[in-house]
Amino acid sequence: MRKILIGIVWLLCVIPICAQQPEEVKAFDAPNDAGGSITVTWKRIDTLPPGTLYHIALSEFPEGPFHLVKKIASETNLMSDAPGTFGHGTETSQYHFFNITAFPDPGDSSKTVAIENGKTYYFQIGTQLPSGDLFFSNSIPAQAFGNLFNQTKLNNFILGTVFSIIILVSIYMARRRTLFIRRIAGLEALDEALGRATEMGKPVLFTHGLTGMGSVSTIAAVNILSRVARRTAEFNTTLRVANNDAVVMAVSHEVVKEAYLNAGRPDAYNEDIVFMAATEQFSYAAAVDGMMVRERPAANIMMGYFFAESLLLAETGASIGAIQIAGTDSYTQLPFFITTCDYTLMGEELYAASAYLAREPKLLGSLKGQDIGKAVVLLVLLMGTLLSTLGNQSLTHLFTAY
Amino acid sequence: MKDFLLNIDRRIIFVFVALGVIIPSLTEFPLPIKPTSTVQSIYDTIEEIAAKNGTVLISFDYGPGSMPEVQPMALSVLRHCFNKKVKVVGMCLWPTGVGLAQLAFDTVSKEFGAQYGTDYVFLGFKPGYTTLILNMGRNFHDAFAQDLQGNRTTELAVTRNIKGLKDFDYVLCLAAGNTPDGAWIPFGQERYKFKFGLGCTAVMAPDQFPYLQSGQMNGLMGGLAGAAEYEVLIKTPGTATEGMRPQSIVHLIIILFIILGNVMYFLHGRQKGGA
Amino acid sequence: MLFLRRTLPLILAFVLGIIGIAIYYIPHNAAQDLENELAKWDRIVAAFAMLLGLYSLMRLHWSRVRRQQAGWGYSSLVFLGFAIMFFLSLFNNGLGPFVAKSSADTDPFVWMYNNVQVPADGTMFSILAFFIASAAYRTFRARTPEAAILLVSAMIVMIGRVPIGALISDWIPWAAQWLMAVPNLAAKRGILLGVSLGAVATSLRIIFGIERAYLGGGES
Repeated sequence: MRKILIGIVWLLCVIPICAQQPEEVKAFDAPNDAGGSITVTWKRIDTLPPGTLYHIALSEFPEGPFHLVKKIASETNLMSDAPGTFGHGTETSQYHFFNITAFPDPGDSSKTVAIENGKTYYFQIGTQLPSGDLFFSNSIPAQAFGNLFNQTKLNNFILGTVFSIIILVSIYMARRRTLFIRRIAGLEALDEALGRATEMGKPVLFTHGLTGMGSVSTIAAVNILSRVARRTAEFNTTLRVANNDAVVMAVSHEVVKEAYLNAGRPDAYNEDIVFMAATEQFSYAAAVDGMMVRERPAANIMMGYFFAESLLLAETGASIGAIQIAGTDSYTQLPFFITTCDYTLMGEELYAASAYLAREPKLLGSLKGQDIGKAVVLLVLLMGTLLSTLGNQSLTHLFTAY
Repeated sequence: MKDFLLNIDRRIIFVFVALGVIIPSLTEFPLPIKPTSTVQSIYDTIEEIAAKNGTVLISFDYGPGSMPEVQPMALSVLRHCFNKKVKVVGMCLWPTGVGLAQLAFDTVSKEFGAQYGTDYVFLGFKPGYTTLILNMGRNFHDAFAQDLQGNRTTELAVTRNIKGLKDFDYVLCLAAGNTPDGAWIPFGQERYKFKFGLGCTAVMAPDQFPYLQSGQMNGLMGGLAGAAEYEVLIKTPGTATEGMRPQSIVHLIIILFIILGNVMYFLHGRQKGGA
Repeated sequence: MLFLRRTLPLILAFVLGIIGIAIYYIPHNAAQDLENELAKWDRIVAAFAMLLGLYSLMRLHWSRVRRQQAGWGYSSLVFLGFAIMFFLSLFNNGLGPFVAKSSADTDPFVWMYNNVQVPADGTMFSILAFFIASAAYRTFRARTPEAAILLVSAMIVMIGRVPIGALISDWIPWAAQWLMAVPNLAAKRGILLGVSLGAVATSLRIIFGIERAYLGGGES
């Protein structure tokens, strides 16, 4: 009888402790990082009174001493708050997590010590009730290390790979059959503009945008310059290429020189064709505007990424009666070009220009691939909108960036 | 007469625009300025940072050309930060922004008695745009070993504990070019996941809405109107508030010219085959 | 020679392109350190490239002055402006070129910046207001129903973005904000998706050496 009574008393003491003690505690290397971080997770306790805190404690040895890393409120840090790492499952709202990157220096509490990669640390989670009672879990060991793949970017990786494969397959397929490419009026007009300049005996002015060689728009612009230079060399028309960036200028020099060489007119090439107008935006606009007014080019070709100088250039070009062809993916400036230029290449038309002018099957194939990619995006957008409207977020989660 | 109205000489339009700027600038009439939610969001974020004694990085990515539009934003945000004891680190992705940023720091630090090194630090310009941001995200002290005055950033109180871009409580880009969507968002915010806000010229503002909706940007001040709204929020009217008068009138003038052009087009131009 | 002009740049574009893409997905310190290093190289190249620009600028204007082409007087101003600013930058408010840049109000370099470059650039930017007005008048015509919708939207946004809009009616700023946040956003996003796919395709063409026009010559 006495034993039974003792047993009941023991149970009455242990059951509340078990109810407050964090369970299913796990510690592991924090995923998707360069290391130096360990994640601890534990099961949420629904019966805790308001004001309860969790203590996250760390030790460098299995037997302790454990150092308090952080105290957090019992209703915070749920795994559902970090869907990039833990996903969108319903169970994520039943677990807490905490990332530990450093802990207080045992020798000097004002300093912290960073978690080292490859070293074993021991973790305990404690529940501190409003009454002050503290119940700790067992200690769990874990090591940090650098990861080789960021899984939160898995959707990005798959999408990028799929699009790349579509484009590369389209390029491969393009070698075997002729591809249709819709008419791009701005590019069709290039020959007309160059011909007009030749007839009038006036120069052709080519302006890049303001971005450097790292920008896709500038690369596309340089590709177009290559085609334009070849035609001006063939037509024996004066070409002027105004630059704002030294690297772009150096590349343009090479591109124009090679184009003249390929057109069989190396004698017509001179170093002054490609020049640096100015490195500052408005000095550049003033220099090019001044040149337009003085030299009155018959054709004004503006390709690349433009900023506020777009209207200054295009309006001045319109005032001197030049035939103007612009192309930009800077959609802020598109309205200005559309209102002041004869032809405008919009957005990706600028990237397509090189393929369009060269009619090279491999380049045209990439355009085809782009269109297939666009069709895929459209389909996903439609399905995502439909599912989301019906309350199903699975497709939205699949395409969410973390 | 109808031909004249159909094809008004652009110099006449220029005269109207000039008068529309000059006359309202010399006169005073009140205009209601109501802060929009995107401007309010920047203000609220700075208030939150003030509560935790945090640090803001301001990137002055504009030049003298856009100074009238963007500099009032810089002055207002600095006034807000220094008034609320928020620490500020300034930098430039545009070399021409250095003088303007220095001017803004000098002006506002004198007003609030802010101390260099403890309340704010100015790093100056470094080339590289996207690559500089990548370097700053990875190792701030390596990317900017020294400030503009040659002090080591590891020793200055404001920058001592900043290891990477993640350690800033807020990054605010004041821009007149493509640094927000071309550099700060893809190479900074997307990678290092810091809170990001933008103040930009009016022409750039419509382009930024996709980033606002996606949450990559939490606030936006667009053009002089955005700057004026921030001035209202910090209760310190400045050049942006004053600029609302000429801007309002010039907008009206342009609209009137567009209406006139269309009326003439419908009355006469269309019969002629278009103007 | 062909190896240096063609093959090597293509190999570099391929290797660095693939590394650049891979690093984005690899959080490991080794990958991130490599990216940090490559980013530094890029910045160093960019800084040195400024000298190339300076050389070209000087060369262009010197040839204009030498040949006394139309407007050569303006070209000589380039040398004057460069000489003055270069000297003031070395002078550094009397501190010399070997200490940190002075930012004192009394520095003649700062004075030149504040009183020459700022107003000059500001003037160029302000010309936009005039050009926008004349271009809008000339081209903003309701020729088609779509153009009419665009015209009305533009007028609402123009008036709604300035305080006078709220003075006329509270509805105008609300409508302006709606136009920016809904139809404008939808259109921008569409363009952005197309542009992004185009950028991916162009990048692939360069990485795999399909697009070579940027190397010169034009043939692909």
